[in-house]
Amino acid sequence: MDTLVKMSHITKRFPGVKALSDISFDIRPGEVHILLGENGAGKSTLMKILSGAYEPDEGTISIHDKEYNRLTPKLSAESGISIIYQELSVINELSIQENIFVGKMLKKKVAGVTVIDQEAMRKVTRELLESIDLNRKPSALVGSLSISEKQMVEIAKAVAFNAQVIVMDEPTSSLSDDEVARLFKIIERLKAEGKGIVYISHKLKEIMQIGDRVTVLKDGTYVGTHDVKDITMDKLVTMMVGRELKDKYLGSGDIHELGKVIFEVKNLTRRDGYVKNISFNLREGEVLGFSGLIGAGRSETMCAIFGADPISSGEIYLQGKRLHIKNPYDALKCGIGLVTENRRETGFFHNFSIKRNISIARQLKHTGFGGLWGLVDFKDEQKVAEEQRTAIQIKCASLEQGITQLSGGNQQKVILGKWMAAGVRLIIFDEPTKGIDVGTKAEIYKLMRTLTENGIGVIVVSSELPELLSVCDRMIVMNEGKISAEFSAAEATEEKLVKAATVDMNEAGGNEYAE
Amino acid sequence: MQNNSASKTKMTFSDFWDKYSTVSILILMVLVFGAMQPKAFLSGTNLVKIVEQSAITILLACGEFFSILLAGIDLSVSSTMALTGVITAKLMVLGYHPTVAVLIGTLLLGAAIGAVNGGLINLTGLPPFIITLGTQSILRGITMIMANARTVSGVPASFTKAVGGKIFGIIPMPIIVALVTALVLVFFTMKTQAGRNLYAIGGNSQSAWFAGINVKKHTILAFVISGVCSGLAGMVNIARLAAAEPNAGTGYETFAIAAVVIGGTSFFGGQGVIPKVVVGGLIIGVINNGLNMVGVSSYYQQIAMGALIIVAVTLDRFFGASSKIRK
Repeated sequence: MDTLVKMSHITKRFPGVKALSDISFDIRPGEVHILLGENGAGKSTLMKILSGAYEPDEGTISIHDKEYNRLTPKLSAESGISIIYQELSVINELSIQENIFVGKMLKKKVAGVTVIDQEAMRKVTRELLESIDLNRKPSALVGSLSISEKQMVEIAKAVAFNAQVIVMDEPTSSLSDDEVARLFKIIERLKAEGKGIVYISHKLKEIMQIGDRVTVLKDGTYVGTHDVKDITMDKLVTMMVGRELKDKYLGSGDIHELGKVIFEVKNLTRRDGYVKNISFNLREGEVLGFSGLIGAGRSETMCAIFGADPISSGEIYLQGKRLHIKNPYDALKCGIGLVTENRRETGFFHNFSIKRNISIARQLKHTGFGGLWGLVDFKDEQKVAEEQRTAIQIKCASLEQGITQLSGGNQQKVILGKWMAAGVRLIIFDEPTKGIDVGTKAEIYKLMRTLTENGIGVIVVSSELPELLSVCDRMIVMNEGKISAEFSAAEATEEKLVKAATVDMNEAGGNEYAE
Repeated sequence: MQNNSASKTKMTFSDFWDKYSTVSILILMVLVFGAMQPKAFLSGTNLVKIVEQSAITILLACGEFFSILLAGIDLSVSSTMALTGVITAKLMVLGYHPTVAVLIGTLLLGAAIGAVNGGLINLTGLPPFIITLGTQSILRGITMIMANARTVSGVPASFTKAVGGKIFGIIPMPIIVALVTALVLVFFTMKTQAGRNLYAIGGNSQSAWFAGINVKKHTILAFVISGVCSGLAGMVNIARLAAAEPNAGTGYETFAIAAVVIGGTSFFGGQGVIPKVVVGGLIIGVINNGLNMVGVSSYYQQIAMGALIIVAVTLDRFFGASSKIRK
């Protein structure tokens, strides 16, 4: 079979590390080729070589039978390779049409002067948008689109300039199930047109659904390539982690002994109205999950509890004591920690070492006037950082290392360590394993259990149903800012959760669980 | 800030730049001017004079450092310096004891101006650039009105001697004021929780908020420190001149910003240390003094200063600590 792009025996070294060694990877027309591997396996490096951002130390890349030792970004783009990164590169301040044609405006001559041909570009854009079922005007500002729609714009842009190979880096990480279905439809269409798709993802279920072939990398080495139809999820996991993950998660069937109620929320309503009249409780030893579509108000509920956003009414009790939380500092003082959805933007400090990232909340708690008065306790800092490093197994060369040098999973552990060091009694996880490899995921799930065994409350907000089903003792489903259903681990199934999250509540007979 | 033991093997230009850029520039400047004017420039008295002349720049730069640490800027430092100078001088002329005058006109007023800057930034959510551009003009106007656009003279000799004189007949007091201020701020940035919090906010204000840091209070704190430092600069200035000029320090914010960025402070926030800012201030002093010695007009000095800012930030952009952060 012919190939669009063939990367042969690629090796790439960085000072001190061999990021890729002898990797071969090819892309055929009309296929979705999955690139799978834990964080740090070398997927991004390989794609950066394909995009021309990195120069390989060894190996060749052939495109349409032409062989190159390295690509430049320009050459890569001209050869029809287009990469859609996880952090989308659309320009919010421009319209859809301008985003598609940015840098390559169509031109025409009017009275001998070359001007931009708005008319032609609008026409092309309209056709493109139709072809991907995006019901928006070419003049709509990209900033006003949802993430899923922005992604569509990127795809349209790739298609507009005749991309033959489209690389999608974790395209579904912030999409709802509906949006994923829509994306898959477009991928199918691109396949039918003979494009080659490279699809990078951690979500095995998705991979089984959309992939044709899958290549697994591990620690910069090539593990193998298989047809998806000939392989099982378990096999893939084994290939990725190099070991059999027997209890892939924690085993959903387990019944955990639950104690008294340790945390309770009564009639919580946000000032902006995104969350209305929420009531729930959490018992000792229990992991409580929150399910629902993006925008259903799950993160918004947690931010309100944590004091990051204002509430208009509601009561919060921790271990029987009524809390009055007006900001995250109050929450910290009261013993509540929030592991936010977005590590990079609201989680860690890129300019701090691992040690400082761990100690910040604890130090803050122990100094006066909201951290304005008091000295840094360097001894204590070193001590707790080392404790957390051991307790949650943060893999790092030194605690003085910058946090940006860690993998996503280890960064997440550092953030968890921050709250544990601060001695919180309740930890809220918002999408705790987003962009984290399978091995670390399992570790984080285990850590949650360790927390509950030590009497710390754990709440998990997640969009991944298998995650909730395997970690939680009880699941609350939110729908349009309200609680629409509640299931015990024994009752819950994916179907029930999806139904409670998507069915209009008025049809379903109103809010049964708010009281 | 981070000791990466893995990269011990080979020191790249980037590592070198990160660690020793500021001191290297200072040494280079001294060598260049020393070679051109060995006698006049390298004499002991001239070197002391350079440090003394740098005192005001260092004080302003130490304050400016905190606004830049928060990825902001304070354009009002020069106007604050002029207003506090005029008020402190006026209070003394009105018969207040110099200590009282300094407490009210320098420290209290400097802090109040900083609090207003910080408060306005919090209240409006506008970038510090806009707010301090506004207060720069407002404060200069107030200064002119307070002084009737004339020099305030009649500052008591006891004050000029105490703050503008020399200790043991050798070390000028302005140097002591700048040094003590810098040492206090070194302690503040390295050892206190509030200092740590400012670095956190500068690195990522969202993460800081979610970690429990009160970003607004700390923003006010940063600008209060800036105001007080500018006040101290104003005090030193009137002590040296034995009078308060309402147009004192015009354009000095450029020197302050230059000193901070040459001192390796990242314009993108969260990176930088006070000692290097002090060296940055000395570099500005050496350039001004050296160019004078060589006989270059002050107009060319302005050109040199502007170019220096651009070069320093460019080098930081590509070789400094902020260039190593994977975004």
